Amino acid sequence: MTTAERLVRSWMASEKDSEVDESVAGISSGQLTLLDIIKALGEFLTSKEDRLRTKGVEFLSSVLGRCPHEKLNRQAIRVLTTFYCSKLEDLETIIPALNGLSYLVKFPNIQSAEVKDIINAIFANVKMRALVQSTRFFVFSIVNSLIASHRDTLKEMGSAFLAGYVNLAVGEKDPRNLMLAFAIARVVLAEFDTLAHTEDFFDITFCYFPITFRPPPDDPYGISADDLKQSLRLCLCATPAFGLLGIPVFLEKLTAGSPSTKRDTLHAMDTCLPVYGPVVARELGKKIWSSLKIEIFQPTDPDTEHSALNTFQFLLRTMHADKSQDAVGEDSITSLAQDMCSECIQTLKEPEKSQARAAMKVICAFARANGPLSSFAVSQAAELLIRNFHDPDEVSNRASVVILLTELIEACRGDVTHASVSQSSQSTLSPLAASKDPLLGLLIVSLKGPATCLPALHGLNALVRTPKLVADDELGYIVLEVSELLRKEPDEVEDVTMDTLALLSTIAGIAPHHLSSQTLPILFSFLPDVAPSRDAITQRASYWRALSSLSALCVQPQLFETLVVRLIAKLDILCAILSSRTIDQESTAAYAHAILTALANTLDVKVSSKDVDVPKYAEQLLPHMFRLYLDAALASSEVVAIAADPRLLQVGARIIRLVSQTLTVAGQEKLVAAVFAAYTQGDVKLITGGLLNSAIPFAPLHLNASPRQRNSFTLFSSTIVSLRKEVRMPVDNLSTFLSELVAWSDSPSSTILQREAASHVLASNVNKHVDDASDFLTSQLEGYSSSALKNTSIPAEARKNAISTWISITRALLVRSHPSANAFINHLFELLDDNTVDWDAARAIGLLASEDVILTKRNDAVLKILHVQKYFNVVMPRLLEGAKGSRRETSYLVALAYLINAVPKAIYASQMPSLMPILLRGLDLVDPSIRSHIINTLSNNIDVTSADKDAVSMYASTLVLAMLKNCMCSEMPDPGVRVAALKYLALLPGTVRYDLLHPYKTRVLKELAKVLDDPKRAVRKEAVIARTNWYKYSG
Amino acid sequence: MNGEIFNANPTVYASKRSARKSKFEAGQSLWIDEQYQPELSSESEVEPIDEDEIFGGFQAFLTPKLIQITHIVTDLIRFIADPEHPNSLEELRVVSAEQIKIGDNHIMVEFTPTVPHCGMSTLIGLSIRVRLMRSLPQRFKVDIRVKPGSHQSELAVNKQLNDKERVAAALENAALLETLEKCLEPVGGPNSL
Repeated sequence: MTTAERLVRSWMASEKDSEVDESVAGISSGQLTLLDIIKALGEFLTSKEDRLRTKGVEFLSSVLGRCPHEKLNRQAIRVLTTFYCSKLEDLETIIPALNGLSYLVKFPNIQSAEVKDIINAIFANVKMRALVQSTRFFVFSIVNSLIASHRDTLKEMGSAFLAGYVNLAVGEKDPRNLMLAFAIARVVLAEFDTLAHTEDFFDITFCYFPITFRPPPDDPYGISADDLKQSLRLCLCATPAFGLLGIPVFLEKLTAGSPSTKRDTLHAMDTCLPVYGPVVARELGKKIWSSLKIEIFQPTDPDTEHSALNTFQFLLRTMHADKSQDAVGEDSITSLAQDMCSECIQTLKEPEKSQARAAMKVICAFARANGPLSSFAVSQAAELLIRNFHDPDEVSNRASVVILLTELIEACRGDVTHASVSQSSQSTLSPLAASKDPLLGLLIVSLKGPATCLPALHGLNALVRTPKLVADDELGYIVLEVSELLRKEPDEVEDVTMDTLALLSTIAGIAPHHLSSQTLPILFSFLPDVAPSRDAITQRASYWRALSSLSALCVQPQLFETLVVRLIAKLDILCAILSSRTIDQESTAAYAHAILTALANTLDVKVSSKDVDVPKYAEQLLPHMFRLYLDAALASSEVVAIAADPRLLQVGARIIRLVSQTLTVAGQEKLVAAVFAAYTQGDVKLITGGLLNSAIPFAPLHLNASPRQRNSFTLFSSTIVSLRKEVRMPVDNLSTFLSELVAWSDSPSSTILQREAASHVLASNVNKHVDDASDFLTSQLEGYSSSALKNTSIPAEARKNAISTWISITRALLVRSHPSANAFINHLFELLDDNTVDWDAARAIGLLASEDVILTKRNDAVLKILHVQKYFNVVMPRLLEGAKGSRRETSYLVALAYLINAVPKAIYASQMPSLMPILLRGLDLVDPSIRSHIINTLSNNIDVTSADKDAVSMYASTLVLAMLKNCMCSEMPDPGVRVAALKYLALLPGTVRYDLLHPYKTRVLKELAKVLDDPKRAVRKEAVIARTNWYKYSG
Repeated sequence: MNGEIFNANPTVYASKRSARKSKFEAGQSLWIDEQYQPELSSESEVEPIDEDEIFGGFQAFLTPKLIQITHIVTDLIRFIADPEHPNSLEELRVVSAEQIKIGDNHIMVEFTPTVPHCGMSTLIGLSIRVRLMRSLPQRFKVDIRVKPGSHQSELAVNKQLNDKERVAAALENAALLETLEKCLEPVGGPNSL
């Protein structure tokens, strides 16, 4: 028995894959030929027994499927083709034969004669409706392969192929086969001459539109409705011949369909209209327009409306696609477009009605089209609206007119997304150019009316942003008129300040000189030289209004320079040191504080947007700031020194930090040298730029320094924290300096402000120069921990302060994942067993994981990624263990609550099930901040915890009762907790299955009715939301 | 709503913005940054319910973050959707702050249908009533009226809206309740701020 025979026989008996593999290996190596196998199969292929015949062909096909392509010569292919074609006639072998053919057609040696034979045999013998999906799939893949490799042969077959194929494809329903059928149809329609069969192909493609297929859950084939839609859409737009047949189908679906069908239809029309061409578009344009009109004027939802407008634009463009671009004038506009336009214009005659808005949207679509269309529609609409505005009978509708015009201006501006449009609009004039003057006049007039003021501001903003439309002197005119609005008292009902500022800011970017000459003087005139008295509420409000306006407008470099100069001058007058108490100190300080805050806010914006002009203010602004504050710090405590107020110092520190952040290394070195000279050697000349000369020694770090001098340390600290890593401290030994600083901050006379400043310096230095500070760290761990942290003989207050210092050092090490951080953390854990400071230590453990403002990227701190995760993984198990059984479980619970509140939820989400019982226990703690931390944690995790169902559902009833207790004014005096509890209650209905909470619904509604009467407005608001959600909650 | 639209082309008005003053602006503080203090200070100050709260003017008071969280916020009546149009009742001037009067435990809301033959008036009135019923303490008595002279069957509508038996019966009708919930989902909402 030959090898081939042995293989064939054993396969017939076992149907094992290994025999197929062995045969293929034999063919590949040349030991066997396909002919041997066919010979061996001989008796089976011709057997009278159906089953054997089927199996025979099946084996051959499987071998063929894995056979290397070069092993078959033309001869063999010829033979196989004839063989398979004959097997198609046999009902028993048709399935394996089609399978074999689907492999055979992929062989490169196949000739056009065979192609024709195969196709004809399929057309003659295959009855698609009698076959199952997988077999039909073979048929489609055969046709698909042949189309890919033998397109010309098939084209030669002409009508026979087209008719035959339509016959195969008709009635196909399976999505897998349809994906192939659509791909075939797309090629055939695009490349074959299908004119005679247009209707047939129309039938086998349009019958699938719109696709409503929804893939079954866990679909193994991965065909989505979108895939089908996409490939069907390619068929629909494959030939212009579908135009007259297809459009009516689209329109019918558009009228009858659901919103998603409507959108699908509109998108299909978007792709098809340009292909179907202008002739079709013009012929059916009227019908399309009347269907689109319904979608635009009576929209079902905003999305569909938007799609309809989009389609309308495609219609417009297609209708005019063959008109040459050069033909300017109305001749090139089709009468249909004219009709559409005039229809909308008619509707615009009642501008206050809701349909006018829709009509304006259509006009805007016209405006976005190119050339004559745009100017034709825009000029008509603008003319009509302007006339309407000036009509004395229509005065009450002016606001609506202005709103509509604003939309028109926005549309004419063209959007940036359409690059081609904006390019062409740069070369040609804006369609609004002709009506610019009346438009500008109209908007300026509107500024004066209370109802039209706001829309007019929006309109002007759109107008100004239109490129090349408004001339420079016109901008000046706008600024002049708009600035007047800032002069007025803000309207009680309609406050337009924000919009006025938005408009002026836009102009500031284009033409700042108009603002500096016209707007700024008005605003500066609102800033008095003397602070308003305590009861002058309106003056106070007006200076702050002016300051916030200035702060918003002066981001532009030129204007900012003016702002800095003017405000410094104002501060110099306000903060002058006086020996007698003639002025109201607090009002003046508050005024100065407002000025500084305005300055800092503007700087903040500039630094965030990386403006390049900020660094120069190290020379122009900082010396003035230091002079102001150091002068006050040096003043004796008898005289009035406004700038010594701690609140002013804090804003000053913010300004210094912002400027210092933007400096280069050299700039920072210069600054830090000057600051050290002042604070450690008492030489204030350098830092104040020579502006300050004082006889009194400046020594804020001295232990006996006056409180004012000590307070000014804040400024020092703000300079240090933003220094880059490369900048060294100008001190001999960093460790000594830091130790001295700790001693200074621990002095009994320290205030919170001073301690905070010192801890910022500590944190920043330890973080950036940890190697220079190793002695300091050792002394802290060995000496300070026992002398301050755990020293029970010193007052509790001092120990709490020591903990704060400890936190900042530990955190500085932690964020750079420094190994010595663990030793510091261990000391905190030991403190959890202490009776006096356990809560502070617990809070500290949580605070270590939270964000802070000092160690940030902006301040160039050394930050390692995932340091929070590492910390959490170290600390969490210890806390969990402690919270479960130790006798100090409360403090562990507190630490846990703070820690979880501080870290991102992804870190602990997986542990939520084990955390839940502990958190619920924490809800019984009295401290309101812990309660609200826990409730917030629960709210943040409600979606995560409900994903595995158990966590929330198991405790749902406990949670409901606990939250109800926490939202009652009578039981929980802290409104923050009440709000948090109500928020949680509002979330529950969305996440927990109804049947679990059904028993509580009535009770919750009843209890919440009481909360509706809470004395706090914010609580009532949350109660309303929670109660509404519970009303809607049902099975 | 099968086909029949009572007012296909209503007049749309701009919605008003209103804001409460910060402590600084109200003259209670000299320092500007005290306006950033949350309203949740545990001072025992009582903030009574007023017209603005019923009408829903207080979103301007929240920080942007809070607005985001509560974007489904149920501002009491201004954002109720019109059953016929994608606009809110405020935009169609069906309700306004001036049409709400608060007395001692008594609230009177007046609304104006867009057209006198508006068949949606009872639905609008009912949605106002349900919103207030769910959101106000029970001590309040709520009266809802159509603005005198603005509707052809004014008396019938008023009677229907203020009859608690009929309101309760209406709320037991599942189809009606569903339409109602749809109206109560805010249009635009505070995002339009």
